[in-house]
Amino acid sequence: MTDWNCARTEERLSDYLEGILSLAEAAEFSAHAGSCDACGKLVKQVRGLVHQMSALDALETPPQLIPKIIESTLGPRRKQSGGWQRWFARVPQFWQPQFAMGAITVAATILIVLYTTGISPAKLKKADLSPANVFRTANRQVHLTYARSAKFVNDLRVVYEIQTRLQPDAEPSPAITPAPAPQPDSQPPSVNPQEKSQTSPHPSHSQSRNGTMLASLLHRNWAENVGVIVIGNIPRSPR
Amino acid sequence: MEPDAQLVQGCLRGEGPAWEELVRRHTRRVFNLCYRFTGNSTEAEDLSQEVFLRIYRTLASYRPAFGAFPTWLTSVTRNLLVDHYRRTRRDRLTDSIEDAMPKLENKQSAARTPDKLALLSELSAQLQQGLSRLSPELREAVILRDLQGLDYSEIQTVLEVPEGTVKSRINRGRIELARILEEMGLRPQN
Repeated sequence: MTDWNCARTEERLSDYLEGILSLAEAAEFSAHAGSCDACGKLVKQVRGLVHQMSALDALETPPQLIPKIIESTLGPRRKQSGGWQRWFARVPQFWQPQFAMGAITVAATILIVLYTTGISPAKLKKADLSPANVFRTANRQVHLTYARSAKFVNDLRVVYEIQTRLQPDAEPSPAITPAPAPQPDSQPPSVNPQEKSQTSPHPSHSQSRNGTMLASLLHRNWAENVGVIVIGNIPRSPR
Repeated sequence: MEPDAQLVQGCLRGEGPAWEELVRRHTRRVFNLCYRFTGNSTEAEDLSQEVFLRIYRTLASYRPAFGAFPTWLTSVTRNLLVDHYRRTRRDRLTDSIEDAMPKLENKQSAARTPDKLALLSELSAQLQQGLSRLSPELREAVILRDLQGLDYSEIQTVLEVPEGTVKSRINRGRIELARILEEMGLRPQN
C-alpha cells in the first residue's frame, strides 16, 4: 500500500473508472486519490470527461451523404424505383408553357367537336360509349347535319326570292323564276279567296300582303326540322 | 443470422437494396468517426464516401470470423483515416507528428468555425477542439472507446495492437484530453 503513488494512479486511472481493478488495488487507488489533491482533481476531471463523451449524441449524417455514397457505388440510378414515382417525376413538365398551350388547344378542339356533334359530356352515359350506340349517334348526326345544310341553302333561296318579290322594279335574276307582270285577275291557288277582294293595285299594299304570305311560308319552313321548300309552292305576286 | 450478415450476403448476391440498407445503417457511425478524427465535415464526408467505396469493392473478402461487420467497418475506416492522415501530413508538414499536430489543427479550427457551429453543440465543439490537439494514436483510441463505444477487444482488432497498448492509449488519451480542456478553461462536470 505504501508504494502506490501519483504515477501509478495516473497509469491505472481508466482501469479504476472501468471497474476492472481488483478490490485491493481499487482500495489503494481510492486512498491515494482521497489524500492527493492533484490526483483527486485528475480523477474527477477524467470521470466527468468520460461521462460527457459517452452522453454525447452522435452527429447527424449530412442528408446528401447517403445518396452520394449509393450513387458512387451503384451508379446514378434508383432515384425513382416505382412506376408511379417515374410518372410523377414528369409532373413539373405539365407546367411548361408549351405543354399548357397544347393541352388547352386539345381541350378546345374536343369541346368544339362535341358541341358540333351534339354530344353533351354531362349527359353522357356508359351505354352511349358502346360501338353500336356510337355508330348510331354518328350516323344520325351526319344525316342531321346534311339536312340542316340543305335546309340552310334552301332558306337562302327563299330569302332571295322574297327580296325579288318585294322589289318589283329590280331586275329579276334569270336563274330564278322570272316575276311576271302584275295581273290582278290571276291569283295563285294557295291564296285565300278573301284576300282577292282586298287586292289593291296599289303597289305598297300588294308588297305588304306578299310579305305577310312569304313570312308565313318562311315560318313554316323554319318550323320543319328537315324541310326542303319547293320553289313552285311559294305564292307569287298577283299577276 | 444477424441483420448485417444477411445484408452482406445479399450484397454478395448482387442485390442493390441490400447494399443501400447496409449503407443507411452504418453511414452515421462512419461519418462520426471520420468527423471526430479530422474535425472537418467536408473531409469527413469525402472520407466516408471513400470508406464505403472500399467496403463495396472488398466486401467479398469480409469473413464473419474476423469479427462483427461494424468492427470490420470501423477497422477499414480507421485504416483509411490513418492513410489520410499520413498523406495530408506528408503534403503539409515536415515536422514530427507531435509537434505539427497542434499547429495544423489550430490553423484548421480557425478556418472551419462556421462549419463547426452548424454541426456541433458548444460542448461537442469544445471536445472536438480538445481532441484535435491529441496525437493521432491517442485520439483514435479515445474516439473508438468513448465516442464510438467499442470494447477493448474490438479496438484491439481495429488498431491491430495488443490489448495492453489499447488500454494504455485510452488512458493516456483521456488524461491528456482532460488537461487540454482544462487549459482551454473547460472543466468537465460529472
